[in-house]
Amino acid sequence: MSNEKKQKKPKVKPGRLEKREARMGYLFVAPWLIGVFVFLLYPLGQSFRYMWYNIRITPVETKFIWYGTKNFSQIWLENAEFPQGLVTYVWQTLVEVPIIVVFALIIAIMLNGKIKMRAFFRLLFFLPVIIVSGPVMNMLVSEGAATIPAMNVQSIISAFGMFLPQSVAESVGKIFSNMIMILWYSGVQILIFLSALQKVDPALYEAAKIDGGSGWECFWKITLPTIKPMVMLNAIYTVIFMSGNEQNELINMIKNAMFSGTKEKGYGYASAMAWMYSVIVTLVVLLFFLLLGSKKDKYDREFKRRMRRRRRQERLQIRIQRRSERNARKFANDIRRNKYKTNDGSNPDY
Amino acid sequence: MKKRIVALILLVAMVLGVVGCGKPSSSPAPTGSDNPNPSTDPGEQITLTFWSYEDETTAKLMAEKFMAKHPNIKVETYIIQDMSTDLSAAASSGTFPDVFEGTDSDTALANMYWLDISQYFDADPENKNLMKTVTEYGIGCFDTKARYAVPMMFWPSAVFIDRNVIEKLNLKMPRTDWTWAEMISLIKAATVDDRSGMKYYGLGYYNRLDSLYGIAACANAERAIKGEFGFNGEDFDLQYWAIGEQEFSDLKLNGYVAPQQETQEMEDWSGDWNTWFGATGHVAVFSEGSWTFQDLWNQAGYQEQYGLDIVPYVTPNVVNEKEHNVIANMYMGGVSTSCKHPAEAYELLKFMGWGVDGWNARLDIYEDMSIVNDSGIALKHSHMPYPLTLDEGIWTRFKKLFPQDEDHAKYWNDYFSSIVRPVPYGWYSIAGYWNFCDQYFNNIGIHDLVDQGKAKAADYVLEATERANYYHAEAMISYFGPDGYNILTADELAKFKAVVDAAAK
Repeated sequence: MSNEKKQKKPKVKPGRLEKREARMGYLFVAPWLIGVFVFLLYPLGQSFRYMWYNIRITPVETKFIWYGTKNFSQIWLENAEFPQGLVTYVWQTLVEVPIIVVFALIIAIMLNGKIKMRAFFRLLFFLPVIIVSGPVMNMLVSEGAATIPAMNVQSIISAFGMFLPQSVAESVGKIFSNMIMILWYSGVQILIFLSALQKVDPALYEAAKIDGGSGWECFWKITLPTIKPMVMLNAIYTVIFMSGNEQNELINMIKNAMFSGTKEKGYGYASAMAWMYSVIVTLVVLLFFLLLGSKKDKYDREFKRRMRRRRRQERLQIRIQRRSERNARKFANDIRRNKYKTNDGSNPDY
Repeated sequence: MKKRIVALILLVAMVLGVVGCGKPSSSPAPTGSDNPNPSTDPGEQITLTFWSYEDETTAKLMAEKFMAKHPNIKVETYIIQDMSTDLSAAASSGTFPDVFEGTDSDTALANMYWLDISQYFDADPENKNLMKTVTEYGIGCFDTKARYAVPMMFWPSAVFIDRNVIEKLNLKMPRTDWTWAEMISLIKAATVDDRSGMKYYGLGYYNRLDSLYGIAACANAERAIKGEFGFNGEDFDLQYWAIGEQEFSDLKLNGYVAPQQETQEMEDWSGDWNTWFGATGHVAVFSEGSWTFQDLWNQAGYQEQYGLDIVPYVTPNVVNEKEHNVIANMYMGGVSTSCKHPAEAYELLKFMGWGVDGWNARLDIYEDMSIVNDSGIALKHSHMPYPLTLDEGIWTRFKKLFPQDEDHAKYWNDYFSSIVRPVPYGWYSIAGYWNFCDQYFNNIGIHDLVDQGKAKAADYVLEATERANYYHAEAMISYFGPDGYNILTADELAKFKAVVDAAAK
């Protein structure tokens, strides 16, 4: 079997149809490829280069003045807002992402049930996705649409302040004051959960019901484990969305730095900020990945462990066999040369 | 076949999109100093782009009047939304305007947006009749020998008094050439809370009093203050600012200053979060931008509606000098370094800004109340600037746009005669000012700390003076040294480097 695997596949010259299909494939993928190169890889490389320079874009030329790590030191030593903004971002993301994901899951389960006007409600919950994109959301936020008027945020901060440090209490208060906006961010996640829920095999629920499983037990034993990969997907999607949308203070800070004409700021300074920010975002994504990454089930883990143990034993067997052969050869040589001695120094006569 | 066509359409759309986003090729244009005599033939058709903060209708009408005078020049106007964003995007895409107006000089100087227009400005006899500080203090020269900008839109600061409030409180109107101490006394006397109704406040502010005080603080013989924070053209001295800052803070802390719009204090006082103190009839003195009068108070029926009788006052002098400097908003205009027709651009700049011809055209527009902007407002009520020229004819016409009845004429005439020595806010005229504010002053939050009584202004004088000098020196090296316009002499460069090095130590 293993020898068969090692054998190379015979080369078959692709036919005309296959070639044409491949060409069509490349043609369809070409816009995306061009997009990636022009709008992702090239700007990425460019911003990586920019962060080492102070860049002045005059009306007649672009001046690159070598700065080395000065952009970074200026950001950390002279810009009080950016480090503070990073801390706030991490804290808010860690708190808001679970809220959004859990809310989206609850709504998705409700929308998946048999309710009247189901299609209308599904549409209703997806509407904010259209509204939150672009300046409409900015307008709504500035008009106070992101807050719940009846909610006394100050009281919440005071209540949390009794047992939490003031800065933490204020961050929690900020979450409450933006509660509507946080929930508005759930549209896409609801859609993803909905499609996952619809793919759960109804036979599983049926079997569970026959065995007397309640709805609560079905959720924990069937629904959640089945859609677990989607939880991670949604959490990561939410982190990425929250890290790059127009309401994000750090994004605005970077944008302002980019267009700022002051001598320290500009494209170089903004690039340095953006790279540091992207490192932090990557770490946050990694954290959610590690927390929610799908672990194999117990049987699978046990099977793999046994396989590993078996392979280890096989390797050991091979080593023992080789050593025995080596010792046997040595023993035979010693006897042949009459050099073999027992432990007490005697020379047995073979 | 169908698939192939769809794929091709997608690809072409993508490529076109990418090409469309690209920067148009443009060869570097000569700078004004390289090219003193532009080679524009008389009669040759040229197009100039003019970017400003004007009312859009006014800008278009002014451009039309300029084009009528210069038939060979086509002017395209654009209203700037945000200076840094708009101009840096234009510089990146090669669509930089020929003439533009800026509110933040650091941005323009750091990126070499402005061309040296000394040769045009110095050779123009009309410029000798501008308000004296423009040439005396080199406003627009940024303490160099070259001129990069000229104040285009000018609004002096003003102190207004509501005569009705003074009358209601049985107080006496102060003399028009009052002093700083008299103003503070009036503010205190006019703060009355008899618990029978809305409290009367002595002061409602837009401009902080420390800005006014810092400029008018001392006699020229003591220190010729050419800019905010006691700037004399070479270095800063914040001791003058500190006195004004502390005095203003004390007024706020002791309840002499009316609450600001959209605050809880305003809601508690007036019952409405959105009330503006200038529309309550319960504030005596206002430190406002001069545009507030025409844009709001002078609109038909406004003062009658709120029971106001607003008159302007001279920004009081601290040392009782008859002719003293007053702080002002002065948007700087200049010709860009990418402009291919600097001589014509200078003419456009002057016409749109301070020139007598331009002002006559402007006054024609303002006097005609039937000309309105998109919001239906007559143009004199839409951020009308003040003339920078001292031309008598212009001022005679300009004054007629303000109340000239027997009751009010004296106040206005005295006010107009007191604003002939304007000094711009720091961000218009001092290199490195914005860096100082951004990275030190506002970063620490000095205004807030002093206003809340958490710190004394005097505590910051030494450190802030040293930092201000550092940021200024650093900016001068950066803007005008070898990496910038490269016009500093070795001695000047060494002097600024010494300041930077001393601060670094």
